[in-house]
Amino acid sequence: MSSDPDKLVAKADKLTKLTLTRWSADWRNATLNYEQAANAYRVAKKYEKAKDAFEKASKGQEMLTSPWDAAKHMESAAALAKELGNWNDVADLYRRASELYVECGRAQPASDALGKAARAVEDHLPDVAVQLYTDACSLLEEDDKDQMAFDLYRALTAVHIKLEKYTDAAAALLRLGLAADKCNASNSQFKAYLSAIIVYLYANDVKAAEKCYNDCSQIPAFLGSDQGRCGSRLISAYSEGNVEEIKRVAQSSTITHLDHAIIKLGRKLPTGEVTAVKAGTEEGEGLDEDDLT
Amino acid sequence: ALLFAALAKHKLRSRSTFSAQDPRARLSRRSTGGLPRCNTETGEMSVIDILTRVDAICNKYDKYDVEKQKNLNVSGSGDDAFARGYAAVDAEIEAALEKAELASKEKSKASNVALNAELRRTKAKLLEEVPKLQRLAIKKVKGLSTEDFAARNDLVLALPDRIQAIPDGSAAAAKQPGGWGPSASHTEIKFDSDGRFDDEYFQESEQSNQFRQEHETRKRRQDQGLEMISEGLDTLKNMAHDMNEELDRQVPLADEIDSKVDKAASDLKNTNIRLKHTVTQLRSSRNFCIDIVLLIIILGIAAYLYNVLKK
Repeated sequence: MSSDPDKLVAKADKLTKLTLTRWSADWRNATLNYEQAANAYRVAKKYEKAKDAFEKASKGQEMLTSPWDAAKHMESAAALAKELGNWNDVADLYRRASELYVECGRAQPASDALGKAARAVEDHLPDVAVQLYTDACSLLEEDDKDQMAFDLYRALTAVHIKLEKYTDAAAALLRLGLAADKCNASNSQFKAYLSAIIVYLYANDVKAAEKCYNDCSQIPAFLGSDQGRCGSRLISAYSEGNVEEIKRVAQSSTITHLDHAIIKLGRKLPTGEVTAVKAGTEEGEGLDEDDLT
Repeated sequence: ALLFAALAKHKLRSRSTFSAQDPRARLSRRSTGGLPRCNTETGEMSVIDILTRVDAICNKYDKYDVEKQKNLNVSGSGDDAFARGYAAVDAEIEAALEKAELASKEKSKASNVALNAELRRTKAKLLEEVPKLQRLAIKKVKGLSTEDFAARNDLVLALPDRIQAIPDGSAAAAKQPGGWGPSASHTEIKFDSDGRFDDEYFQESEQSNQFRQEHETRKRRQDQGLEMISEGLDTLKNMAHDMNEELDRQVPLADEIDSKVDKAASDLKNTNIRLKHTVTQLRSSRNFCIDIVLLIIILGIAAYLYNVLKK
């Protein structure tokens, strides 16, 4: 067997093509050849050819009904595509790999593949990344492996914040809280809730933040926890219009334990008009009195 | 005899004061002196009679003996048990102290050791007596002023200290906490300044101002330190929680690994056994011998044929 990858590929191609002399493709040998060729290409840093070789090898494994190996080859192909910078290719290849993993019945590697994909493309195709993250999370949740989903949710939130889609980010955080609740990871859950409140406040949506806080307070443990108290202090500081208090709460250690992205948001609080809330309530009272007389 | 008795009584009654001399001694001298005379005056009178009479007379006039009364007073009358007990303990403490001084002057080690041991025994005994005295001290005794009564309590409380202070050669005993035993009833709060609460008493002095300031600064510094500690603790708590969750995450993974490895191990064992069987079958000694024998036969045939062909 020659070690020249081109020759190997040619040979493998010949093995798989059905001609008059050949009635059934010899996938085993072909796959072997393809793998060897791909490795040789990778070493030679011919990424394009290596990627193609890996794709073909994966197809061969599929024919040999071993989806696991097929998926592994797909992943290698996708990694090479990342080197090349074909982002769409990357996404597609990783998706294919994850499907093959699901065929094996292994959800964890499937979601891992999607996670890797999302991380690779988040800088360039953020929307695609969002989609990939969401799919990965749903895969894990179906399989009852919520614990693994935390990291994915956090990454998803980071992407949303970068895109400045704060409602989406808060929604993602609340889903994190839900997942944490299922596994009784109370610390992560409360941190997620507090982060959601901060995101709402940063988006200057005080009403939503209050609503969020009230919703989360339905859980009695949250009220008594560090994070709950911190959240209540923030909300009350906002409703009083007390800028000093807001800054002081933002510097507190509870916020420092959250995610980096959230800490950055917290330090930038308060944004926008804080006194507006106070004026709004006063006006309301004035109207009521007028109505009574 | 009757006449002599009447005469003696008359003479004694006429006396108003007694001298410092022991009256019994005088009377006995008199009686012994008068013995030869007694024969002439009143006829026979035995010495025993005289002695008994003298005793009776002494008992009657004991209350005029000033010195004896003083002694009795110090050691307390028959009613006052506390005073008696206290005097006894006091005397024993003095004796122990003298012995301790003697011990410290002693040169020989052996006698020192003996003296010290005796001192320790005495101290233990005295310490046992102290609670009894305390109980007695509480009881009110008639004819005792309230000041004396209060003073008794203090005396009793001071006793354990004095007992412990007797040096007995052992290492300096730990200072007793001032005898805070079951304190007897203090019926009133004692004020240092005798209750004079005028304006001057509450005036702020410079000293008290300084003290207060110092107190404030120290408190502030403590608060700062405590804040740093609390921040550190917060971080620790957060890390601990995260670690907890991480471990919870790893538990099912570890279980999976466990079961998979178990399966692999059992597979391996089975394979090994089968391999062993196969190998023993292939290379058993019986087959081996048969192989060799057949090989030799074939070689023999080949050699025979070779010879035949060569010829």
